Amino acid sequence: MGESLLSVKDLDVEYGDVPAVRGVSLTLEPGQVLGIAGESGSGKTTVGLSLLRLLPRSASVGGEILFRGENVSEMSWGRLRAARWAGASVVFQGAMSALNPVRTIGDQIVEPIVLHERVPRAAARARAAELLESVGVPASRRSSYPHELSGGQRQRVMIAMALACKPDLVIADEPTTALDVIVQAQILALLADLVRSSRIGMIMISHDLSVLGAVCDRLAVMYEGQIVEERPAAELLAAPRHPYTKKLCAAFPRIGDQSSRLAPDRARPDAPPVLEARGVRVTFPARYGHGAARAVDDVSLEVAPGEILALIGESGCGKSTLCRSLVGLVKPGAGEIRYDGAPLKFTPRALKRHRRRVQLVLQDPAGSLNPRQTVFDAVAEGPRLHGLRDGLTQRVRDALSRAGLRPPERFLGRYPHELSGGQQQRVLIAGALALDPAVLVADEPVSSLDASVRGEILRLILDLRAQLSLAAVIVSHDLGLAWNIADRVAVMYLGRVVETGPVEDVLLRPRHPYTRSLVSVLEAPGERVPLSGEPPDPASIPAGCRFHPRCPRLAALAASDPAAAGAAGCAVRDVPVLLPLAAHLTACHLAEVS
Amino acid sequence: MKAFLSRRGGVAGLAVLLAMAVLALAAPLFIHPSDLSVVDATGAALAPPTPHYPLGTDQPGRSVLLLVIWGARPSLAIGVIATACTVAIGAVIGLLAGHFGGAASRVLMAVTDWFIALPQLPLAISLAAVLGQGDASITIAIAVTSWSTTARIVRAQTLAVEARPFVERAHALGAGHRQVMLRQVLPNVAPIILVSSTLTVAGAILSETTLQFLGLGNPTDVSWGAMLNQAVNQGAVTRGAWWYLLPPGVAILIVVLGFTLTGRAVEDVLNPRLGTR
Amino acid sequence: MTAVAVPARHAGRRTGTGVAEFFRYLARKLASAVLSFLVLLVVGFVIFSVMPSDPLEALTRGRPTSAAQLAFLRQQLGLNQPPVERFWSFAWNTLQGHLGYSWQFQAPVSSLIAQRLWPTLLLTGSAMIVSAIAGLWLGIRSGWRPGSLLDRTATGVSLTFWSVPTFWLGLILLVLFSVGFGPVPALFPAGGMSTAGTAGGLAPQHILDVLRHLVLPGLTLSLVIFAQYVTIMRSSVIDELGSPYLLTARAKGLRDADIRRRHVVPNALLPSVTVIFLQLGGLVTGAITVETVYSWPGLGYLTYQALQIPDLPLLEGTFVVFSGSVIVMNMLADIVYRYLDPRVRRQ
Repeated sequence: MGESLLSVKDLDVEYGDVPAVRGVSLTLEPGQVLGIAGESGSGKTTVGLSLLRLLPRSASVGGEILFRGENVSEMSWGRLRAARWAGASVVFQGAMSALNPVRTIGDQIVEPIVLHERVPRAAARARAAELLESVGVPASRRSSYPHELSGGQRQRVMIAMALACKPDLVIADEPTTALDVIVQAQILALLADLVRSSRIGMIMISHDLSVLGAVCDRLAVMYEGQIVEERPAAELLAAPRHPYTKKLCAAFPRIGDQSSRLAPDRARPDAPPVLEARGVRVTFPARYGHGAARAVDDVSLEVAPGEILALIGESGCGKSTLCRSLVGLVKPGAGEIRYDGAPLKFTPRALKRHRRRVQLVLQDPAGSLNPRQTVFDAVAEGPRLHGLRDGLTQRVRDALSRAGLRPPERFLGRYPHELSGGQQQRVLIAGALALDPAVLVADEPVSSLDASVRGEILRLILDLRAQLSLAAVIVSHDLGLAWNIADRVAVMYLGRVVETGPVEDVLLRPRHPYTRSLVSVLEAPGERVPLSGEPPDPASIPAGCRFHPRCPRLAALAASDPAAAGAAGCAVRDVPVLLPLAAHLTACHLAEVS
Repeated sequence: MKAFLSRRGGVAGLAVLLAMAVLALAAPLFIHPSDLSVVDATGAALAPPTPHYPLGTDQPGRSVLLLVIWGARPSLAIGVIATACTVAIGAVIGLLAGHFGGAASRVLMAVTDWFIALPQLPLAISLAAVLGQGDASITIAIAVTSWSTTARIVRAQTLAVEARPFVERAHALGAGHRQVMLRQVLPNVAPIILVSSTLTVAGAILSETTLQFLGLGNPTDVSWGAMLNQAVNQGAVTRGAWWYLLPPGVAILIVVLGFTLTGRAVEDVLNPRLGTR
Repeated sequence: MTAVAVPARHAGRRTGTGVAEFFRYLARKLASAVLSFLVLLVVGFVIFSVMPSDPLEALTRGRPTSAAQLAFLRQQLGLNQPPVERFWSFAWNTLQGHLGYSWQFQAPVSSLIAQRLWPTLLLTGSAMIVSAIAGLWLGIRSGWRPGSLLDRTATGVSLTFWSVPTFWLGLILLVLFSVGFGPVPALFPAGGMSTAGTAGGLAPQHILDVLRHLVLPGLTLSLVIFAQYVTIMRSSVIDELGSPYLLTARAKGLRDADIRRRHVVPNALLPSVTVIFLQLGGLVTGAITVETVYSWPGLGYLTYQALQIPDLPLLEGTFVVFSGSVIVMNMLADIVYRYLDPRVRRQ
């Protein structure tokens, strides 16, 4: 067998009678990073947990797992406990729940050190402090509780904890899921660095090919419990062979790759905008410990009939709030929403009329359907509320078949839990179409769907645009989505649009340093423009240009030419508010300098 | 339904309850008013079980068995009626407080919390004492003191349902308060109300027997709590008359346990939280 | 119970702003307790002074009373005044400890209550300590392995005790162990708190005598609330079982016993503590019925005695004292909880 760090042969796992993993074989050498890709239910997490016998009792495991030459399934409990964490440790997903909420992070890092190395507590504490510093968390935070840290910091704590006993193998299960793209890039850089510098072997499990591509040497793609393709990462991503791998790769488009650009490039329609936001501001009142949050701070947008606008930004940038004010669910504190040029009045009657023409599609299709309503009732909900009772059945059928649920009869009587995620999202789109709207506002319409379903829903939105000349505002954190289907894009940062214009202009030639960082995350690791710091808090917006504390361009300029940096006034003068024009516009004092 | 049938405790509980209900409803068919009359009693005073009196007799010489069967009628009736009032008050307050935020909701919840924290029995005793002896005042006392738990549960569930995206979708489709509450929230809160009312009946019957035992019921009525009250007054304890003390208590235990088991089984079916681990 | 100390240990490390925040928290809780007490006074007033259509009739029910006596009472109770003024004088009197004059005992209600306070505290306190220790321990054990033999037994036993009327359980234990039944001799006294004619004070014989009298009522009360504690703790432990941080703890190589002690118990105790304090009302309910059955000379028995007449001023006094003490205990629980849960502490 040689001296592989880990070698898995013909691993089978069943829960009761349901097979979860079938015939999986893997090997891993020290200092190597192996990626396991796959969507939910593919068995990838089960493989990870079986390596340390962490599966629940109901699982039966077959095959052979050799860790440092020793068969894991034959280890005694004592031997196994010794191998756990000291030999192989785990970085779990969702550090908020994977850390004990009522114990300090210092305590939790110290715990395995004391357990496995039998060192005095003081020494273990000193080691914990070092570990925290090495992952970029100030050692002074060791007496903090998990809920007092940001999401990125918690994940760093998880990593520090995983390294506490100097293991030979680290299993990272979705280590960056639910983090913002830029924090995600920071964490991945940290992991890659640690692996290379200490010759740890690592298995990284994720649904996100761009995450895996950034750090892995080899990639294994799992589908329905089996490995369908395993090759060096770069090779596999550049030319996927298995049809499933191809679908998966399509969900993580490379910007500039024309084959993943589904929207035809077209001139901006001359028609006047159908839906507009003018100088919209939304402020949430102060609550315990938080100041008033300027969630949306003077934003103007517009979308013309048959046009798709992508609104991109990290969590907390105000994009979801803005999209709710477009539908009339949140009343702007200042500015106005216009439909066909007429300002929306926030009276019950006007709102009801508005909500017939502008439809909202939400992120989580399973949660957006009332579990006690059938498909028919869910789609008929809108027409009923608006008194469209004549020909209701026909209206529902038409909407379902336009949303691609054919034949509609097959779906009418079903309940949401009997449908797949993609079908649920189609039902929601049908529910919107049943009111013959002019605009669709979709908040992260594909982010909770599996990668292979993502393409279908995107094509559906494009078809509807072509057939019904439906306008759409797509809100997402994912620039790749904008590249896939949007005509124009607006990038938001901390309540303000910082760059806007046609997709090809903005994404291929980004001018704002923030857009540039976002775009670079999707590129090869070498090209990345890292961004330091945490996602900002809308309750404390910096003076001047709100991006300047994190701006790499300003930092570079200040290093080379401090006088010019000071003269640019980034810290003092606010940037101009962008108007919704077709042209490529940037809100940056230094945009012309570079 | 199938999931419920696979829970033995729940099935047993429901079966016992059905049997009790049938027995209570059919009691007038085989129990004559003279069987319950103190004056017309024919048995010996406080005598142990004999073939003719399978559970012995009480001080005036009535059959304890017949008394226990008859006692199911007021106990079940008061329990169920008090629960209906409790659940109606609690569900409406919980739903309103959960749906409409703001000051009014905070006041409602403060009142609810106040009633939850306060000891029930002193309040119920005081109410029943002021209202005078009788079934009506016991029912009112129970309803007034126990709606708050239901209100709290319903409010929590309403908040949880309102936070789910389908409620936002309904708003975005143009639904108003009434439509959201009746079409979206209520169907999702109803199962919780069902569970809570089953468990409330159990608590209501316990409270009812306690109040009867303390002498707040109608002195001439036959109910389980009142029987135990009379047993103590007639010296059953010092004379070791177990046949008089055991049956009413066992009857209460069986009914309360029946409701509790049924409620827990329904809860389990609706909200399976025990995983495979 | 040692696990409580784990999070509590960090409480001392609070910063200056933390102290200020703690006092703000304290002030908020104090204010809400004061408000609760005010509502209590209103409710008490409504029940005892507004609801009886003629409080005098309620007061003198069943007793022949002369017109002069009635007029005197009317004057004494201030029934000639408007309700709002009557409320304020009632509230003011209550706050000063003037709870009225008992009909039955011909003595001030407050002094009657003062005499009966200590026995009730002894009974409820000892029952609560015994059942909390036993109940939480059993709840942890049975929640840790749901479906095991221990769990099924514990659940069955606690469900049964929960469904038993407290007073009936008391009666049965009384017949069994005090009157004696079959082969069981009369082991414990039937009622009261001490044998008549023995010396009081702190004499060892007296203490032993009181303890002997305490066994049966204490056991009855403990069994009922013990059942509640088992159920609460068990379900909080089960709720924690699926938590991802337990997978982390297992992956760290911890032994099951350590996972339970260091990770599960501290988390599961928090919701349990809340519920246990919320159920203090249940303890009071139990005290009233148990004291009645065993003639234990406490507040609960006093309530029962008042009920027989009914002696409304005395009933009102016990109502205010029972409810007021629960309000105070709940406020203390909120403050303790803040020490236990870091998430609340730093909010």
